Amino acid sequence: MNCSDCKELIGALMDNELEQTQATSVREHLAFCAECAVVCEDLTSIFDACKNGASDIVPPNSKALWLRINNMIESDVKPAPALPEPPVTRSWGISILRFSAAVLVIAVISSTVTYFALRNYIQPPTDDFTSRSAATQTTFEKVLSKIGLVETPQQARERRLKEREAAIEYWNARVQARRAQWDRVTREAFDRNLQVIEESVTDYTTLLRHDPEDELSGEMLDAVMNDKMNLLRDFADL
Amino acid sequence: MMPLRQKKVFCRQAAVKTTMLLSVVFFFALFSGEASAQKRFSKNYPAGQNVRLRLMNRTGTVTVEGWNKAQINISAELEAPAANIVPQNLSGLIDINLLRDNQGREIGNVNFTIRVPYTSMVDIETRIGNLSVTNIRSALVRAHITSEGAITLTNIEATNVAAENTIGDIFFDGEIKEGGTYRFSSSKGNIALRIPFSASFKMVATAPSTRNISLGSFANSDTNYLGDGRRVLGKFNGGSASITVTNQRGAIAFLGR
Repeated sequence: MNCSDCKELIGALMDNELEQTQATSVREHLAFCAECAVVCEDLTSIFDACKNGASDIVPPNSKALWLRINNMIESDVKPAPALPEPPVTRSWGISILRFSAAVLVIAVISSTVTYFALRNYIQPPTDDFTSRSAATQTTFEKVLSKIGLVETPQQARERRLKEREAAIEYWNARVQARRAQWDRVTREAFDRNLQVIEESVTDYTTLLRHDPEDELSGEMLDAVMNDKMNLLRDFADL
Repeated sequence: MMPLRQKKVFCRQAAVKTTMLLSVVFFFALFSGEASAQKRFSKNYPAGQNVRLRLMNRTGTVTVEGWNKAQINISAELEAPAANIVPQNLSGLIDINLLRDNQGREIGNVNFTIRVPYTSMVDIETRIGNLSVTNIRSALVRAHITSEGAITLTNIEATNVAAENTIGDIFFDGEIKEGGTYRFSSSKGNIALRIPFSASFKMVATAPSTRNISLGSFANSDTNYLGDGRRVLGKFNGGSASITVTNQRGAIAFLGR
């Protein structure tokens, strides 16, 4: 017996439909042919799964299904008697149109939220004319701020200040390392300019301590901290 | 033996000779000292109409003048210790960077006078010293002083103008181009802008410390005072260009012409 014959007869062997001689031949072939033995094992597994899982494949309400089939057969044979209409039940099935609409809405919302979150994170919320304040926030931005998805102007300012302070610390260390090599005129000019900036920093910090909502002082503090960082950075090169 | 009178005359002549000799020595010493303390640099480049000048000075004054020639003329006076000046001509850009050319060296003041075609873009910067730009009609005029020095921009017609310093006055006298952007910023000094009455611009002027913002003839009903007079917003003749002026501890004045 070759492999092709054997594979054809394996199914019948499983169903005990072969004659004794044929069954013996198949079993002998399976004993030395690994390939056919694998096929036989696979088939056995499938058969076992079908037997064990047969109860799971039964429809949820087999009685109702049989009734519907029966009704359909009867309707083909004779006019169906008027049956009371089944109570209308809410269907949770979703059409393709509804599904598409839902996906579209979710995509739009998530894109909008991502856009504002990224814009807030990457680019400090300042426009060309004035710095952003609570008054210039759109309603949508205010809502997003309330639920914590984007920063409020105050939070953004505090974050920027912390970043600037870290940068200032770094550049200040470099300036201190270079300062000894400057001439007297450069040293004096640097000190004079730094002092002017420090005075402004002190003024705005004091104003904000008294009135944290003072957006203009917040904006100016941000600006002078930037000036201070630039002064330190530029002089660190000298 | 020499008579006493003859001896006195001889002594007087010797004293005069010694004094004259010392004067000559002193004069030459002084002259040669001055000559060694100051050097000169001069160079010319042919230039098209859209050339860009970028200059980074360390200390000293910079004067840029527009002229009606297709040529850039750079001249500089170098105080001791003299700096290296190595301008780079990069296809439409003349780049002079004294920080790059003198890294790790102590250098004296360098006072530049540069003449460029009046349509050139000008971008100049220094750590300490005055900056002056005159007769420029182009897309960009930028003057930046890291610390102290005055900025004077006169007869400027540029769509983008920026002037920044920490201590020192800023003066701008020029046109306001449609859609242009104009930024002036100082920490301590006075900022004065002389612009035409007919200019179309919107403006934000902020002087938080002094609240001294003088609009002169530009004061009209389209102005809003914010933050107890620390900031003024205004719109004039349609508001095409944008002017932002910030002076942390000084006054701001708009002068009409």
